[in-house]
Amino acid sequence: MKFTAAGSLFPALGACEPSRNWQRDAYRKKDSSRVAILPARRYDAPLKEIILKGIKLCGLDVKGKRIVVKPNLVEFDPKGVINTNPAVIEAAVDSFRFLGAASVVVAEGPGHRRDNEYLLSASGLYDVMREHKIRYVDLNSDDVRATPVRSSFTRFKQLYLPETLYHADLLVSMPKLKTHHWAGATLSLKNMFGVIPGTVYGWPKNILHWQGIHESILDINSSLPLPQFAIVDGIVGMEGNGPLQGEPKASGVLIFGDDLVAVDASAARLMMLEPGKIKYLAKAGDFLGNLEREKIEQVGERLDQVQQNFRVIDNFADLKKLTS
Amino acid sequence: MITEAIGLLLSTQNSDGGWGASEGKRSNTENTAIAVAALKSLAQKSATEGVSRGTRWLLQHQNQDGSWPLNDAAKEGSWTSAHAIVALSAFPEHQEAVRRAARWLVLQEGSKPGLLAQIILLVTGKSNINDLNNDLIGWSWVPNSFSWVEPTSYALIALKKTRALLSETNAAERISQGEAVIYDRMCKAGGWNYGNSKVLDYALWPYPDITAVALIALQNRAAETANQTSLASLRQTARETDSGLALSWGTICLDLYGQKTDEWKELIAKRFEKTRFLGETKTLALAIIALNGTNNPFRI
Repeated sequence: MKFTAAGSLFPALGACEPSRNWQRDAYRKKDSSRVAILPARRYDAPLKEIILKGIKLCGLDVKGKRIVVKPNLVEFDPKGVINTNPAVIEAAVDSFRFLGAASVVVAEGPGHRRDNEYLLSASGLYDVMREHKIRYVDLNSDDVRATPVRSSFTRFKQLYLPETLYHADLLVSMPKLKTHHWAGATLSLKNMFGVIPGTVYGWPKNILHWQGIHESILDINSSLPLPQFAIVDGIVGMEGNGPLQGEPKASGVLIFGDDLVAVDASAARLMMLEPGKIKYLAKAGDFLGNLEREKIEQVGERLDQVQQNFRVIDNFADLKKLTS
Repeated sequence: MITEAIGLLLSTQNSDGGWGASEGKRSNTENTAIAVAALKSLAQKSATEGVSRGTRWLLQHQNQDGSWPLNDAAKEGSWTSAHAIVALSAFPEHQEAVRRAARWLVLQEGSKPGLLAQIILLVTGKSNINDLNNDLIGWSWVPNSFSWVEPTSYALIALKKTRALLSETNAAERISQGEAVIYDRMCKAGGWNYGNSKVLDYALWPYPDITAVALIALQNRAAETANQTSLASLRQTARETDSGLALSWGTICLDLYGQKTDEWKELIAKRFEKTRFLGETKTLALAIIALNGTNNPFRI
């Protein structure tokens, strides 16, 4: 098996696999999925109230549960908006604690940097965690467990996943609303790249890119050993050459849901990207969750009232041709 | 601070003699090797027992082929073998274990794109997205995968330390190739990140910890312009970086390049006071090496 530094080289995912690529127990689609989009114009808004409302609208019960909050903390650029804002993470942790969660940890395996202390300090998350006595787990160096892959889009038969995931009841993906120069968009499903441990797969997690970004997103998400929820930081997102060097895009929303495919589909529509043309999302809609608009019960803000025209790089111009 | 750091490091040693990434984590080769290297460099009686138990863990976990796995739950030889070589190089009595490991390391090669992948890269216009010379071969994180700056640097440090044991191998050629990989990946204004100087025509920036590790691997070529440019980059970026890891690697590197480090050592102590380095074993051990300043295990 050979790997290179390039991004996915097999963009025609799906074209050559007419049969089912997932095991029966990886199938998670429901009859319908609820997604809440709530206004949050600024990071100094009462975010805890908004998040509590989002959790309630989605009917999430966290009482007694051990929760792993997984933000997007991949790199730091003082002039950029790469990471999930610490204010949103703080409000989410506060909300879960308020609702009676047994424990809440923040966990991430940054994809580019090994230096957690730097990323936490530079992003402002360290001060938040110290003030609220929140435990941080570096998923890159966590103990690992071999996990069978429950779909077959890559050639991985098993993935090593952090032990922390096996000692939790709920994994909350908290991505930033961003475009992505290899995948089109990076949202709650793509955010799960961060659970892959760097000590095993390296920095950057290029081996996943060589297996195919879209394919890896699908295999990682199909194989996670615990239920998930998503809270997308769309207060200020990123457009253009994301996920690192794009420009800020103020969108003024938080997006919630327990079906990560439905959340990402709604987020894509909000960005005025066609979710069915984002390859991993289209395929995820076959088995991991609901992509179709008619199967997503949108609550909170009306999508057409909060839509923003996110720019994409030329390679993804086709995503801007909306059909749904 | 160093006394407290030593005490903390010793207190987090696992009962099996190894160290995990932080207290309570399973022992692994990377953290055990760096902890052993740090404590050994002190030449202190209080650390003797810890060094002895850590060394035993390393020797017990060496594979037949000379390599080390990532941890005690894995088998396959890994990039962390380079760290074990550096740690055990301080023990003349373990020269044979070091020789076996170094010979294994010489044979490990990163891969380059196959013919089909190269054609696809060319056709899709992605052949120059990173501006890398894909023909250069260094060392990879995952066996038989692409070469990256950090594992290549660790391998170079280990092999340069053990050159005298490798006369009958192609070590010189591999070292030369590895150096070429590192210079090829240098950021435009000096310094290194994980290994991409640009993506899609956008220049990427260097990371101080990786810049220091790369410079340590190239310490025998200190006078070269690329080294001096990167040294200047390190001095600038590490001082602006709130991180025990970056400051510790930076201090170790500056020391090896004969530069003053007093101010840097003060910054390490301040970070330790504030964050305790998040309880990371590796950072704690590297800080001990940086603050101690003698018997630097990364000196080639």
